[in-house]
Amino acid sequence: MTTPLLEMRNISKGFPGVQALKDVSLAVHGGEVHMLVGQNGAGKSTLMKVLCGAYRPDQGEFLLNGSPVHIHSTRDAQRLGVAVIFQEFSLVPFLDIAQNIFLGREFPGRLPGTVDRNRMHVEARRILRQLGMDLDTRTRVHQLGVAQQQMVEIAKALSQNAKVLVMDEPTAAISDREIERLFEIIHRLRKDGIAIIYISHRMREVFEIGDRITVLRDGANVASMYPSETTLEELVRLMVGREVDTTYRARFCTAPGETILEVRDLFTKTGVRGANLTLRAGEIVGLAGLVGAGRTELARAIFGADGKTRGEIRLKDRLLKGNPADAVRHGIGLVPENRKTQGLALLRSVHDNMLAAGLARMFPKRWYSFPAAKRAVQALIKQLNVVTPSARRPVRLLSGGNQQKVVIGKWLNAGSQFFIFDEPTRGIDVGAKAEIYKLMDSLVQQGAAVLVISSELPELVAVCDRAYVLRDKAIVGELARKDLTEENILRMAMQHG
Amino acid sequence: MPGVAFLLVALAIAFSVFASGFASLPNLLNIGVQSSILLLLALPMTFIIMTEGLDLSMGAVLGLTGVVLASVLVAGSGLVVALTVALSVGLAFGIANGLLVVNLGLPPFVATLGTLGIAQGIALAMTNGESVVGIGPVLPRLYASTWLGIPFSIAVATLVYALFHFLLYYTRFGNYVFAIGGNREALVLAGVPASAYHVAVYALAGLMGGFAALLLTGRMNSGHPIAAMGMEFDAIAAVIAGGTERQRGNGWLPGTVLGVLTVGVLRNGLNVLAMSSSLQVASIGLLLITALLIDSLRRRRS
Repeated sequence: MTTPLLEMRNISKGFPGVQALKDVSLAVHGGEVHMLVGQNGAGKSTLMKVLCGAYRPDQGEFLLNGSPVHIHSTRDAQRLGVAVIFQEFSLVPFLDIAQNIFLGREFPGRLPGTVDRNRMHVEARRILRQLGMDLDTRTRVHQLGVAQQQMVEIAKALSQNAKVLVMDEPTAAISDREIERLFEIIHRLRKDGIAIIYISHRMREVFEIGDRITVLRDGANVASMYPSETTLEELVRLMVGREVDTTYRARFCTAPGETILEVRDLFTKTGVRGANLTLRAGEIVGLAGLVGAGRTELARAIFGADGKTRGEIRLKDRLLKGNPADAVRHGIGLVPENRKTQGLALLRSVHDNMLAAGLARMFPKRWYSFPAAKRAVQALIKQLNVVTPSARRPVRLLSGGNQQKVVIGKWLNAGSQFFIFDEPTRGIDVGAKAEIYKLMDSLVQQGAAVLVISSELPELVAVCDRAYVLRDKAIVGELARKDLTEENILRMAMQHG
Repeated sequence: MPGVAFLLVALAIAFSVFASGFASLPNLLNIGVQSSILLLLALPMTFIIMTEGLDLSMGAVLGLTGVVLASVLVAGSGLVVALTVALSVGLAFGIANGLLVVNLGLPPFVATLGTLGIAQGIALAMTNGESVVGIGPVLPRLYASTWLGIPFSIAVATLVYALFHFLLYYTRFGNYVFAIGGNREALVLAGVPASAYHVAVYALAGLMGGFAALLLTGRMNSGHPIAAMGMEFDAIAAVIAGGTERQRGNGWLPGTVLGVLTVGVLRNGLNVLAMSSSLQVASIGLLLITALLIDSLRRRRS
């Protein structure tokens, strides 16, 4: 075996509360496409941030061509020939292609401070031709499509003499034809001896262009192998690889009650295509899928936050008009992904937040009664076990788990019977997580229905009675409780790449 | 073409028809002269707005530097010395704005509202609110001169425009102005000291405030502490109407000229029609909204 072009050895990195990377090692050779796979939160992105100098590892070393090097800053990484193309591009929209490729490294013109534009365009054209691209380098990048912007990013990396190129889910936002084009370019780069680290969720790609595969799980190496030595089944198992804790629910729902939510043939402006789903009283139903599969879009459309173009949404047989006010009136509660900006008024008290959605229901005659409001809030605090010294405390000062409970309390007070939880336990510690799950359970015990969106497969498996799986903005399957495993969800969510 | 281009044509036609004397050469030159000071402020304001910023202090800084320029002249110094002092005062305010916004992280609105108050207060204190007169003959004579038949102020404004155009589109600094507003992170990752360039954008605005004092004082034949009060409003309106966006780092310098001319035509035409100056302010607000409305409607259609 030859010396790897770049080697990362025993990299560890911790953040307050989590050990993001534990002793991770990765070696890439020139002319190799190295696929890095793993679930959300497996540590792929953190590893790449360490590699490009954005994070400093707590431990570990880098070797370039077998000799140790230091990467303390993004400049170091650039100097050593490491370039990372993140999903969020580092392009300036109103500069042209050439200006973007050479940003910060402009060719000086004759007068001090000026730029030799002609030379920049000539050089930029040369690099793009090398990639087999024929773009007008005078085009401003905001006029380019995502795929073309990606080419500009690649050209920018090559112009810095990158020897190691990292691509973070490069096919997430481009069409099939453009993917073919990208793969051609990757083949070309590989022939030129460039090492490529390619992060992907799409299994087809892993086998189509990967020369080697490394699997990360929970911040640690699980396995490295050649594509020919493995199968999709084995990869999925390696990515998941743990027993599931299912103790959160008292019992799963075996006999659901009346239909609460019914969605028929829903198409939305945000791209959801033909969604059909039914939720009955007593059920917790999951909405699974990879990032960008359309989970949040579907949930927002049900809540009326985004417009629908076709189809109907019924709550307890009443047709919803498609705006949030109407949804709330009919009893839908949305526990949003970002509770701090979308779910709470952070500076206001627990009292104010809990009453925010239910005032119209509590006081139909429009006269506000402070004693009645106070009683209602006290009851909610007790029911939800919110840990706060007083109802007057600003929610900003509460822990994440208690903030989440306030959001739930707000909807309980509004009389919601159908709850949408979008990533309900993000940024919440383990103890509070269990409490949130128990809360969901008690909601459905009382005859409500709950829809849970989550990127954490163990969470879905632990709490859901059923799950719908989305891919490319459409529901591609449904898993009953007995089939609800991380493997099955992943397989459905990733098939056909 | 931004919507303001259509507005400019429409206004010009309307005033030519309804305001007698509007479409005469002397009046058109007059519009140019009146617009030149505004252009000197609107050009650096374009850079600032491109970087997602704002400079509310420009009118006040212009007022203060005007008073300073006049006072130094009254004290008997030459024009070069007086202008140097005025430029220094303007530059100092610009750098202060830049440091407050970039290094100390104050919102531009707050930082420059503060320096607006400071500049205006100093100007009023220096003069007790009265005009500084007796600036001698040199500046007025210079201001009244013509170059190849072109009034001094129009010639100066044209020259300054050429300079800014060159700066934005042909220099490293210009590239970085686009980058600060468009993707500051990318600029920092490219190893460019983005903060220094960002401060420089504000410094340039202060400097131009000092330079515009030359034209203002020349035109008024005196220094007056509140002569330029509220001019930043016209400048911001002209820049935004001209198609520069507060997000994404999208700036278009020729658009700023169109915006400035439109404000100039509007003020002049309304003057000819004898409309009160308070209502003129209102019509500039209306102009800004109309111009942006045209843009947004056209965007929606395409």
